[in-house]
Amino acid sequence: MAAERTLQQIITQLKSNPSLPYAEASSLLSKAKLSLLQLNALTPTANAPSSLLLLARSVYEYGALASIRARNPDAFTRYLSQLQPFYELPSSQLKPDAEMRNKVTGLYLLLLLTQGRYAEFHSELESLGTREGADGPDRIESDRFLGYPVKLERWLMEGSYDRVWKAMKKGEVPSEEYGVFSEILTSQIRSEIASSSERAYPSLPLSSTKSLLFLDSEGAVVEFARQRGWTVRDGTIYFPTAAEAGEEEEKDLSQMVIENTLGYARELETIV
Amino acid sequence: MPGKTPNSNGRKPVENGLQKNSKDGEKSAAKGKPAAKKGAKEGEDMTVVVPPSKSTKQSSQPPPADAEGDVAMEDSEKTEQELEVKVDPVTQTISDIKSNFALLDRAVALFDARFSLRALRSISSLRKRLNPDILAQVIAESYPPTSPSASVAKQLLSAIGRENVPLGRQSSGSEMEVDSEPKAQAKNGSKKDKDANKELIPEVDIFLAILVQVYMFDTKQFQQGANFSKYLSERIHSLNRRTLDSLSAKVYFYFSLFCEQLTPQAPSPQSPVVTLRPTLLAALRTAILRKDIDTQASVIVLLLRSYLLTSHISQADLLVSHTTFPENAANNQVARFLYYLGRIRAIQLRYTEAHEHLTAATRKAPASQCALGFSQTATKLLLVVELLMGDIPERATFRVTNMEQALHPYFLLVQAVRVGNLEDFETTLAEHADTFRRDSTYSLILRLRQNVIKTGIRMMSLSYSRISLRDICIRLHLGSEETAEYIVAKAIRDGVIEATLDRERGFMKSKEVGDVYATREPGEAFHDRIRACLALHDESVKAMRFPMNQHRLELKNAQEAREREREMAKEIQEGDLDEDDLGGDFDGM
Repeated sequence: MAAERTLQQIITQLKSNPSLPYAEASSLLSKAKLSLLQLNALTPTANAPSSLLLLARSVYEYGALASIRARNPDAFTRYLSQLQPFYELPSSQLKPDAEMRNKVTGLYLLLLLTQGRYAEFHSELESLGTREGADGPDRIESDRFLGYPVKLERWLMEGSYDRVWKAMKKGEVPSEEYGVFSEILTSQIRSEIASSSERAYPSLPLSSTKSLLFLDSEGAVVEFARQRGWTVRDGTIYFPTAAEAGEEEEKDLSQMVIENTLGYARELETIV
Repeated sequence: MPGKTPNSNGRKPVENGLQKNSKDGEKSAAKGKPAAKKGAKEGEDMTVVVPPSKSTKQSSQPPPADAEGDVAMEDSEKTEQELEVKVDPVTQTISDIKSNFALLDRAVALFDARFSLRALRSISSLRKRLNPDILAQVIAESYPPTSPSASVAKQLLSAIGRENVPLGRQSSGSEMEVDSEPKAQAKNGSKKDKDANKELIPEVDIFLAILVQVYMFDTKQFQQGANFSKYLSERIHSLNRRTLDSLSAKVYFYFSLFCEQLTPQAPSPQSPVVTLRPTLLAALRTAILRKDIDTQASVIVLLLRSYLLTSHISQADLLVSHTTFPENAANNQVARFLYYLGRIRAIQLRYTEAHEHLTAATRKAPASQCALGFSQTATKLLLVVELLMGDIPERATFRVTNMEQALHPYFLLVQAVRVGNLEDFETTLAEHADTFRRDSTYSLILRLRQNVIKTGIRMMSLSYSRISLRDICIRLHLGSEETAEYIVAKAIRDGVIEATLDRERGFMKSKEVGDVYATREPGEAFHDRIRACLALHDESVKAMRFPMNQHRLELKNAQEAREREREMAKEIQEGDLDEDDLGGDFDGM
């Protein structure tokens, strides 16, 4: 029973001040996990009381949030996989807390998105549709936490980067933890825009590039251009052309044709 | 023939008899079909349908010919009467079921799975005619009360709620309708003692059990069915006979089907489908160890289905990557597997692979009417994937008569995507959301939005040599000019259009479209087609089947021919044979 009481205390502590430094939070969390171990509740068992399950779930959820705040994706993924069996429990055994669950799942989606793991992103999204109580994608989009990464993904795919940019501003982000990803996303969309600009524009004036790339000053633009290897002349950026690769391709083509034809000849021989 | 039946002498007569039977049965069945059609037209079904049933009866009962003759006479006399109509389907069904026993026997004796597959194929035709009485009668007649497998028979009987039917032949008379009694009894007397020393092979048990499963499924006794299947799968597991493979695959198939129907249904994590997975995984492991291809294929497909029902995509993907689907599995299983694989790949955004698998799935799907649902579902998914790849499906796909209606929402979708009209796309999506959700293509279709935009941009780039970003924004209903600019820039980078942007003056300028034939594209298309043809050729060579021991037969023939030649040569030497007698044949040799 003592272990249960410590758990309760830790959770209230974590709940009351979410801005706890990660070192403190993680020491609290490991203490909580130890007591969970004593209670044999690290993973849900068939005859565990629902109050204990609830405690265990909250510990993991707070752990997940804390690790996101500490920018530790590995720890977050670990917490998430520990949470999975709790989420699969029937509602009679453990009362579902949709808001917290959506928050954690939304963060996971965002993490996948920023890491470019689109296949997993969509697999996760697919499983959301069949989740208990959710009536399909409409509900997902209207949800504060889940809708955010879903919309971001769509805009990224379309190329509406300005909307992504707007969505990352203060006030638009559903919760503080989501803001952690803004930095990664910003650099991500910036490099996306840069690579499309290279192909789309023959040249760009520095002033408009600033707004295009969501940079603060023209100095930053020059710095960015240097990193990408663009040439800056008279306040205009010139992009390197991609025409040099043409010669080599030509050679490839004839080689490919020869290879194919030889292949056909060989096949024909085996048939006849 | 005798050389190929490796059984002890005691069993041989029975075996041989049975083999003959089955041939008769097949013949009569083959004859029966067209005859039945004709009969239906003339309005006197029974005159035509009865003979086959009798001939199978006859052949499965070797004893007294005179008794048989009587019955035949009786039958033909009664054919005109309405009474007969009631009874005959029953006897027909029973004899049909029994004719399958012979096939199974043969499968075991010759160790050829084709015979058991043939028996399994007959299930679909038997299915509609099954009822507990028929099943009980077949079971009771097949199992002598003293045999060691009597307990199995008891199990089967209790499963269909006919525990009180006693085993052995005598029961059949009382169970059946009145007028077949003389027939049944006449045969029973002589047949009984022969049965006692004939042991039933387990294949027959399982076949009957599958029939029981089918019956339970059709009568919606899902819970009982699941329980019965559980018992059955355990029994199969303990038997370990290679000749059971194709049958056990079927057993697992129905097992999982029962579980799917039980509440709470699939998407819920408490569904029995989830609890079934360990059983299936264990079955898969055993099947792989025993090189049991049929069960392997069928269980993999069932597991994939179960994972996809609960949207456990990553698990399904892991299963696929950790198992190899048996190469020479049954065609239907291959088609199913490819469909599920295509589905997984589509969700993972690997459209090219998905497209490949789904195309193969739709092509491998059986063309008959009974698999229409499968081909419709697979086609729907294929269409969506094609759209996601940026291709426009062919118009002819939507014109196929049995698909037209089912594919209508998708047709509207394709139209919207083809023109690049975002508004149409949204309305179609909203209107048919339920259909798409039922087909579980909704989330995939949501991804199409960007394709619609891209097509829209491409259409504009083709029609205008220069267009302002403002116009693009208005036509595609995008939020702002900035958005339009970013989107167009991305489209240019992705190679959707050939154009440049002018930021100061705010327009998009299209480049001249090059000649397609100057690029490598036609060559690549040509190469793809040739490769497909070669693959087809290879596959058809692989699919050729050579009967076992055929080469020995040829050797024997050659030997005989040589002997004949020698004899002939001898005769010639002796001068018994004239030149004329030899004929053209000899020259050939």
